[in-house]
Amino acid sequence: MNGPLVALENVGVAFNAQLRVGAARFWALEDVSLELRAGDRLGVIGRNGAGKSTLLRTIAGIVVPDRGRIRRAPVTCQLLSLALGFMPHLSGRDNAVLSGLLLGLRRREIVARLPAILEFSELGDFFEQPISSYSTGMLMRLGFSVAMQVEPDVLLIDEILAVGDAEFAQKSGAALRERIHGGTTVVFVSHRDEQIREVCNRALWIEHGRNVMQGDVEQVLQAYHADPHALGAPPAAA
Amino acid sequence: MRLHYVELVLFSTYAELRAESARSYLGLIWWVLEPAMNMAVYYLVFSLILRSAQADYVPFLLVGLTLWQWFKSCVSHGGYSIWQQLPLIRQVKLPSLVFPSVQILADTVKFVFILALLIAILYCAGYPPNVQYVALLPVLLVELLFAAGAAYCLAALVPLLPDLRFVIEQVLQVMLFVSGIVFSLDAVPEPMRRWFAWNPIAVLVDAGRGILLHARWPDWLALGRVALISLALYAFGAWLVARLHPRYVKLPA
Repeated sequence: MNGPLVALENVGVAFNAQLRVGAARFWALEDVSLELRAGDRLGVIGRNGAGKSTLLRTIAGIVVPDRGRIRRAPVTCQLLSLALGFMPHLSGRDNAVLSGLLLGLRRREIVARLPAILEFSELGDFFEQPISSYSTGMLMRLGFSVAMQVEPDVLLIDEILAVGDAEFAQKSGAALRERIHGGTTVVFVSHRDEQIREVCNRALWIEHGRNVMQGDVEQVLQAYHADPHALGAPPAAA
Repeated sequence: MRLHYVELVLFSTYAELRAESARSYLGLIWWVLEPAMNMAVYYLVFSLILRSAQADYVPFLLVGLTLWQWFKSCVSHGGYSIWQQLPLIRQVKLPSLVFPSVQILADTVKFVFILALLIAILYCAGYPPNVQYVALLPVLLVELLFAAGAAYCLAALVPLLPDLRFVIEQVLQVMLFVSGIVFSLDAVPEPMRRWFAWNPIAVLVDAGRGILLHARWPDWLALGRVALISLALYAFGAWLVARLHPRYVKLPA
């Protein structure tokens, strides 16, 4: 079991640009290769449109490559998705079950975790109310609490490290960091250097859907910012 | 793994029905009231205005419309389902077949209520239950298979060809007329009638009327032929959805 959990070899993914007869395709990923081993915490950096989110969805198995090869050990790879499939007229409880099923949990698993979801989300009596009566913050709390019940072998995170108001942001951030540093294999996409530094032990820089550099976090970040094309890159926010 | 999808389809169906009833003041009552209003419209036009001379026209119409509306809602709801769920399909790895299946199941639950109401109405109108009712089960199963097959085929194609939406309603309208729902196919000239015999809905509706109104066993040969057509359509639809699934996530948002 020392082989990679997921390996991408020269993977390319093409999307339809328009819904029109004979419309051209564009390659969101041109040529990306990577190996993900158990316990890796890989940070993916690159400018807007570099293909970071497509890469995550390819690893998750949602997008099938149009060229290249993807090899996957029998492991589950899941994108951290909040409020997946929520329906406004259903109660928080029903939505938790629905979302859990969509995320791949069995019914009895999600039902067994409902008390934990109720507690973590701090929704109290609102748990039985339709979520159309929730504030955005409450919705985020429920969504996060459900998403955290799924424990994939490879956790894929697209920019989200914490949600909700200041208090819940701290709590959710702490829970997620605990998960990340508890031995889960993680692929993390972010624009923010300090988050990549905090979370990851390896970094991958992609540009125009191609690998540019892969390796030590500091070295990759340094090269990324030294790149003359980096002028348009967002500054490392505090 | 398979069981997980069964659980997902069942719970989504419950969620769909629950959400639908929560969206209006009358809720569940609309399940029966909406088709009843629809039937009243046809009754008004064909019985009162056009004065259809056919004996027992009202029960004839009620049975036809009940079976037809079930098919129609499965096809139109199921047919749009994948297209409507594209945002979800981009987010999570799931077989697309889940989405039309949920719609078909939800429409079937509603149909069961309407069928019960129909049987009660027929009883009051002097068509008591009879032993031939057991034949309803195979007839309805074949109709479910045919509706699901048609819905899967459309569900597979609509995301890639959303223009189909403009055509579906018209095709359904034509099917309503060539299936003998609102008028008897006996009026159709003989040479043409041979072709009508291949129309699954016409055969199924005819069998349904035979059972419910005339205590007559279905034409098993015709039913068997329709069952084979339905099975083939179902298998093809399921294959098509699975085949086209990888393309859905690559469509422009």
